[in-house]
Amino acid sequence: MASLHRLQKAAREAAGSALSRRGFLAGMVGTSAAFGFSRMADAAMDPATANGVPPKPVGALYEPSLWYSIDSAGNVTVNIIRAEMGQHVGTALARILADELETDWNKVNIVHVDTDQKWGLMVTGGSWSVSQTWTLFSQAGAAGRIALIEAGAKLLDADPQSCIARHGQVVAGEKSITFGEIIGKKAVTRHFSPEEIDKLPLKPVAERRLVGKPVTALDVPTKTNGEALYGIDAHVAGMLHARPKIPPTRYGSKVVSVDDSAARKIKGYLRSLVIEDPSNTVPGWVMVIGDSTFAAMRAADLVKVTWEAGPTANVSEKDVQDHASALIDKPEGGVLLDVGGPKGRDVAKAAFAAADFVLEQTYTTATVLHFQLEPMNALAFEKDGIFEIHTGNQWQSLILPVLAKALDRPQESIVLRSYMLGGGFGRRLNGDYIVPAALAAKALGRPVKLLLTRHDDVLFDSVRSSSVQKIRMAFDSGNKIIGMEHHAAAGWPTEVMAPAFMPKGQDDKPFDPFAIAGADHWYDVGPQLVRAISNDLANATFRPGWLRSVGPGWINWALESFMDEAAFHAKMDPVALRLKLLSGKGQNENAGQAPKAVGGALRQAEVLRRVAQRAGWGSPLPPDTGLGIATTFGQEREMPTWIACAARVHVDRTTGKVRVEKLTIITDAGTIVDPDGAKAQTEGGALWGLSMALNEGTEFEKGQVRDTNLDSYTPLRIDETPELDVSFVDSAEFPVGLGEPATTVVAPAIGNAIFAAVGVRLRHLPITPQAVLAGLKAVG
Amino acid sequence: MFKRLLIGAIVLMVLGFGGFLAFAWRPEIAASQPPAPSSFDPALVARGEILAGAGYCSECHTPKGGRPYSGSRPMVTDFGTIYATNITPDPETGIGKWSEEAFRRALWTGVRRDGAHLLPAFPFDHLTKLSTEDVAALYAYFMTREPVHSVTPENTIPFPLNIRLFQAGWKLLFFTPGRFEPRADKSAEWNRGAYLAEGISHCGACHTPRNLLGAEKASATYGGAFIDNWVAPPLDKSNPSPVPWSRDELYTYLRTGISRYHGSASGPMAPVVHAGLNVVSDADVRAIATYFADVDESAPRAAEEKAAIDHALAADKRGVGPDNDPAAKLYTAACASCHYNGGEINVLRPDLALNSAVNLEDPTNLIRIILFGIDAKEGAPDIVMPAFAHGFSDEDVAQIAAYLRATRTDHPPWQGLVEKVAAIRAQGKTEE
Amino acid sequence: MTSFTINDRSVTVDVEEDTPLLWVIRDEIGLTGTKFGCGIGMCGVCTVHVGGRPTRSCITPVRAVEGAKITTIEGLAATAAHAVQKAWIDLQVPQCGYCQPGQIMQAAALIRDFPSPTDEDIDAVMSGNLCRCMTYVRIRAAIKQAAAALRGEVTNG
Ligand code: FES
Ligand code: FES
Repeated sequence: MASLHRLQKAAREAAGSALSRRGFLAGMVGTSAAFGFSRMADAAMDPATANGVPPKPVGALYEPSLWYSIDSAGNVTVNIIRAEMGQHVGTALARILADELETDWNKVNIVHVDTDQKWGLMVTGGSWSVSQTWTLFSQAGAAGRIALIEAGAKLLDADPQSCIARHGQVVAGEKSITFGEIIGKKAVTRHFSPEEIDKLPLKPVAERRLVGKPVTALDVPTKTNGEALYGIDAHVAGMLHARPKIPPTRYGSKVVSVDDSAARKIKGYLRSLVIEDPSNTVPGWVMVIGDSTFAAMRAADLVKVTWEAGPTANVSEKDVQDHASALIDKPEGGVLLDVGGPKGRDVAKAAFAAADFVLEQTYTTATVLHFQLEPMNALAFEKDGIFEIHTGNQWQSLILPVLAKALDRPQESIVLRSYMLGGGFGRRLNGDYIVPAALAAKALGRPVKLLLTRHDDVLFDSVRSSSVQKIRMAFDSGNKIIGMEHHAAAGWPTEVMAPAFMPKGQDDKPFDPFAIAGADHWYDVGPQLVRAISNDLANATFRPGWLRSVGPGWINWALESFMDEAAFHAKMDPVALRLKLLSGKGQNENAGQAPKAVGGALRQAEVLRRVAQRAGWGSPLPPDTGLGIATTFGQEREMPTWIACAARVHVDRTTGKVRVEKLTIITDAGTIVDPDGAKAQTEGGALWGLSMALNEGTEFEKGQVRDTNLDSYTPLRIDETPELDVSFVDSAEFPVGLGEPATTVVAPAIGNAIFAAVGVRLRHLPITPQAVLAGLKAVG
Repeated sequence: MFKRLLIGAIVLMVLGFGGFLAFAWRPEIAASQPPAPSSFDPALVARGEILAGAGYCSECHTPKGGRPYSGSRPMVTDFGTIYATNITPDPETGIGKWSEEAFRRALWTGVRRDGAHLLPAFPFDHLTKLSTEDVAALYAYFMTREPVHSVTPENTIPFPLNIRLFQAGWKLLFFTPGRFEPRADKSAEWNRGAYLAEGISHCGACHTPRNLLGAEKASATYGGAFIDNWVAPPLDKSNPSPVPWSRDELYTYLRTGISRYHGSASGPMAPVVHAGLNVVSDADVRAIATYFADVDESAPRAAEEKAAIDHALAADKRGVGPDNDPAAKLYTAACASCHYNGGEINVLRPDLALNSAVNLEDPTNLIRIILFGIDAKEGAPDIVMPAFAHGFSDEDVAQIAAYLRATRTDHPPWQGLVEKVAAIRAQGKTEE
Repeated sequence: MTSFTINDRSVTVDVEEDTPLLWVIRDEIGLTGTKFGCGIGMCGVCTVHVGGRPTRSCITPVRAVEGAKITTIEGLAATAAHAVQKAWIDLQVPQCGYCQPGQIMQAAALIRDFPSPTDEDIDAVMSGNLCRCMTYVRIRAAIKQAAAALRGEVTNG
């Protein structure tokens, strides 16, 4: 699968220029004219300052590339196109650049920029940020360093070859000059062509001074004193407030009538507005407008809207899941992936025909909510011919064309200002919440700030689709694995929201890579057949979302549970079986390719081996306590993050309660840029995995999700948080992703641990005490 | 309460006693010129002010947001609204023309200056115990207030229930006029407490159950009762709270509005503490506490205290940790952050195992507090319990109540909780 | 009209009595550090101190705080509770940060009530504060560090 590459390529084509190279001119920019700096000052968001406004540059400014500038005081401002939603992404990316630049970290600022064509594709997801930016920012930093050394050498009257750059200074023996002084003298003249930049070598690992070293993330302090600005805090004079009435179905609902007589009693209620949406993003929406947040909220409680509901008004969770099962049972549907070569299907068929025994199991997962803590919001208004959107968003490039269509104006005249995200987790990849705010602002000719209540937010969520998967494995008479099939059906977010980004499988049919990643695993199991199936009923009933790790969250639940079941069948130790299969061999190029996947399956074997050792695999445990293990490659084959988890759980036989006592996790993500940030992402991801394994899960009832707030939707809280032992493989390999991988290993590790503890095999997420009790009863 | 009073009136009317009129008739006391405020001894006025606080007169006689003691504050009953009278010295609309004698007769016997009987919404059955000196002090206090011209609206009690004459029959049956008689076998402090509690502070008016005709049941003094949509808990030893009300605990409660072992003064009790007893001296409040510590026989039960507290602290820990019981999850997320205590009870973390609302036979108080919260001016001063009415469904509230009852007490479960929550939600936060 | 003190400043606001304190703080007074998450008292992001006690402002009608003293995250730094903020930065607790003002307000009160908090105390008191980024392990550690600092066992900074 080539999801990431395709995504980048498609984006480049869309932007009409090469993403990473455009505008890369090393040269002197004496004033702020080049990029209109004054405008940027209120457009960009510096998360380290109280009001988000970046500090004013001092004196002359050198912009070695699109990605950063240095002022005459030596302050380096790094432009970040990624959304900040808890990864401290700006800090990590700026460290990469600053390391090569050899600047003083204390003088580095980051700014999260607004949307402008010049930035190319703006998306934050897939755990891609560091991996995608690594080379680009390293070389950008190196270019600046080279230019500054050359200029500094001249000023110091020294041979550039004898000069080095350190802590924001160019040093020649005893003599030195600061970057700021060089720039203040307007002495930098060096220009680089893109070809030259491409050839710049990266520093040797031993020379790294910032990458891999501890740092306090620049966005942390303002997140402890109330100063950090989120979308919900966006404000503009004269704005009106809006809360929607959410129609009974995601699509196809039509407003029949609006009765606001009761709402008129509410002080501050202004009117209700039926939204006409040419982009069909929010069909059937009514916006209740007030002069304060609370007026809009209270009034919306009282506005009565009658709808003619869309066709999915009666769809239930069971309908969606039954439909998925039916699709799996039909051999002809779905898309076959290129796993195991184009002939994989036939070879696999032959293997199964020759099998002595076929193990087959079905796994399911329930609907999961994003429940990012900051409810959806957006402030929209037109000013000086530009339509401004103030909000937090993860995929600006995806929603801009939709907004252009909805507002009927050129995309260039719409700009998204970046705010901190009170949680993303993939919810804000889908910018649908912006559309109604923009349409209301257009209709009323006034700034409108939309804020959803939690209940609205959940009804409007792009949920993680429920899923059904069938896995089959062929064994020969010696219990050797000779073939494997994996069929997975779920709602496909990419098909619904970004079909142009779907790669093609066999027969040239497009599929959603995010909904199947993980089935193309690194185990050598002989010929493989992987079939991705789009659940069209799911796609019609709700807008399936990308939710932290997306498909790998359910694919690996099935796959890694199944691997334990296979070991059980083959009477092998589950770790031993996996290690045997992670041989780096097989027809699926399991040896891995440089740079990102170098080492392949052997690196996965290594994290598994280490986690087993660290968690005490094989040691005796108290009664009803079990250790379960699982391993994955995180997100996608092209950017594998090798990860393994051991879960120790205790099962209460009377109540069926499962207590996770400890999670041990080992990750090999190549070079780690921000060690503490990497750890934090892994901790958060692991607990998300746990939460989705035991705590979360809702159901569709009559076309909408049943649980719309915390009184019945129960994500993990602190009292259920186990001990975490998170560590990383020390590695200098190409950095890969960290935001999501830990999410993918925990649920199967827990399922396997429950089996180890009490002999009950569970195949549905979330695992409820009722299911455990039923399982206990069944096994006696 | 008033419903019963009115039924009483009907019953009596129907019975139609011979000679009743003769018995019931009271003469008018002639109007007098309002005495000059300067004619009162300031020390006497000051004493009257404290007594007015101890009797929380303003609770009924000062309208919300209005001038002190100018009356018109409505008291809503099923049969109509009763308006408290203007007791400022305004000659036309207040008590300006009342002589001290007329004032005393009203307090001691429940008769207006013009000879009409007062409704027992006015607690003359308690005020009759006041000493002549204390009545004089109250008179001095009220006659030196700012006169406010404010006409009290007509009560909306319909005919024939509004015939005041028939109140005389009620008095005949249930009212024993007479001053407080100290008990020789009790301490001076006890007697002082009893005098205040039974007299000016009329504690029994809320805490003693009433008979069918709306009179306090002499046989069940301080046995607990329903009042204004709240339960006034028993003050005798039938109080189901695990820890008996000791003198110190009650003193703290009446002084601060909160007790470590019982909870905070909410509902109609809040103004008693914060807009009444707050002007009363520490010695008098301690005397009241002394009296009730005897009423509920806390001294011989003091040994129960430690076991009850240990039991509570152990119960407190339930609901923390993995628990798939939805009620436990609700409790953990919504309540435990304030109500959990570690190794010892913290007065600002009201312990729900000890709390009277959780232990009472009726869940009304608990439901009210969950739904409508406790304002800063109620309970412990400045501290707020939020109101879950907008966030929680009836089922959510019922689940939490049932969960607390089951895990924090040994009492039988409450029945019909969901309906009860719905009914109380419909009533709304009735007190101001 | 409701009057109260917020971060040592007296304010009077003219809003409906049942307006939740949260919206008064955010929209009328303009302090946006206090956040909105669930609106039903179950996530804790709206936690402020009323009379020094942590209180969910989203379900507290403004009427209830008449005359009370309120502290929000913006006013916390002036108190001993800033040890909590220091520990939070030191251990880099925040991820997206959205829940953290509420977590910090709750934690500051916790340490006052439990100067040497156990894991059990922390779990019980902090379970009302949801962190969707799941920073729980660090919250536990930071509370212990801040408590130790306030007990004088560790000099913090
Ligand atoms: S917003 Fe107040 S507790 Fe969630
Ligand atoms: S840090 Fe994101 S919700 Fe807690």
